[in-house]
Amino acid sequence: MSNDEKLLQFLYACPVGLIEFDASGRITMINPHAMQHLLPLGGPAASENFFTAMENCAPELRSIAGSYTSDHGTIRGSHRIFVDLAEKRRKGRPQVLSCSLVKLGAERFMATLSDISDEVAREHRLRQADTWFSALIDGINDYGVIVVSGDLTVISANRSFSRQTGRSFEQVIGRSVGDILLTPDADDPGMDSVEDQFCMAARDGWNLYEGWERRANGERYWCQRLIVVRDEDEKAGDSTFSVILRDVPPRESDSGDLITMLTRDDLTGASNRMYFHKTLRREKLRWQSRKDPLSLVMLDLDHFKAINDRFGHPGGDAVLCAVARTALAMKPANAVFARLGGEEFALLLPGRGLQEASRIASDLCDAIARTPIEAAQGKITVTASLGCAELGEVQGSTDDLIELADSRLYHVKRTGRNRVLATTP
Amino acid sequence: MLDNISQFETISLQDLEAMEDDERDRLSFGVIGMQADTVADVYNATESQMSGVAPDSVLGVPFFETIGQCMNNFMVAQRFEDERELDDIVPYVLTLRMRPQRVRLRLLASADISRQYILVER
Repeated sequence: MSNDEKLLQFLYACPVGLIEFDASGRITMINPHAMQHLLPLGGPAASENFFTAMENCAPELRSIAGSYTSDHGTIRGSHRIFVDLAEKRRKGRPQVLSCSLVKLGAERFMATLSDISDEVAREHRLRQADTWFSALIDGINDYGVIVVSGDLTVISANRSFSRQTGRSFEQVIGRSVGDILLTPDADDPGMDSVEDQFCMAARDGWNLYEGWERRANGERYWCQRLIVVRDEDEKAGDSTFSVILRDVPPRESDSGDLITMLTRDDLTGASNRMYFHKTLRREKLRWQSRKDPLSLVMLDLDHFKAINDRFGHPGGDAVLCAVARTALAMKPANAVFARLGGEEFALLLPGRGLQEASRIASDLCDAIARTPIEAAQGKITVTASLGCAELGEVQGSTDDLIELADSRLYHVKRTGRNRVLATTP
Repeated sequence: MLDNISQFETISLQDLEAMEDDERDRLSFGVIGMQADTVADVYNATESQMSGVAPDSVLGVPFFETIGQCMNNFMVAQRFEDERELDDIVPYVLTLRMRPQRVRLRLLASADISRQYILVER
């Protein structure tokens, strides 16, 4: 076998995707493993340009590569890309890809692609196990216990709990557990509310959480919290729970920056696909347990390609940033506004029904059309098409929720754009 | 005799099965044949020329895990798993000699023939 053929075989068999491309994204070299992942993302037509192929699930790659000023070096290592928003992992489709970007020269880039869906799922389980093991290893000096009824009222508390939190029995018993335990930081994407943690414990048998807790005197302390179902009563909602609270030294790593990096879209500051996906799953759980409505608005900018063609990518980027600014300023506090792809955004509205979602979407649609955007080549005006749907319309399937909102959005696209649709015509 | 393009579209599984190796080598399009476990047992000269890899290193090896990784997704490999009867043409991009190359693939499988085929038209 010739050396050339050996080299070819080596690249054909490589279990990691390798892609070389120029500044415009045009692919000059690519190995089979990379094509295995790239082709399903954008189809054959998009697969000759790296940025075009990744546009729908990782639009940030273009600006990440473009804003790297040096001619050589690692631009980004192990950047996570959420490629499939479906709730369950579908056969033959990865959910999360890892992408590293390297600059080889003024006009030459290299990317690696690999499927890390299994690692991400494992990480999630490990994070739970980590809290569990440290709970076992750290030794038990003092732990508080409370017993909570199915409607989340505190039934009893032990003396340690009173000591740990500085609260007397009278201040605790008969109160709702949501008033006593600290609600996790709303900006922290990994965290579920106290009520959600009980819902998950009712579903799974137990739930573990680690975070700041507050004593009666206002002092913060780091607390490991284990919720366990006590009763095996078949009737839903009748279970009682034991909650064990441990006062432990806080973890050393401060995860603030990491959280921002992992949950925000680089360019626009909107939430990213991964955070959207996570919130959608969490809110679905809340929808199931509390029957609060949950609505979704899908938003797509009109004629965005023409804006890019006329004003260049910097113009297009300015438009995306301005739209995100408008939406983030207008959205209700508990809503999530996320960039899902190139010019595609989603607004997830917990606690809002279809009618309210439609009103919020209309306000947003008007605000976008009214706001001229300053770019280097002059003012740009842009409009958007929006489609709304409510989880109750699709019997609780988040996949169908996205599809329904999308289908309404595309009806708007076909019938004149710059408008909101919340029913199926 | 049919011309090459229509032969790519029309040749049947039975025709391919009835051919000798040298007949398949003379076809103008690539022919890859494999068993249900995806181990390749046909790799014609046209395909070998396009990929730059000799048949010896492809035959006897699970195709989708080695040289055919670019087709190891729901668009190709998954279809052979899911569909017992398969005759479909899909536009695709292969990475022949590490260059993206637009091709048409024809996927062929039948419940009564153990070997399945991928035809590649450049």
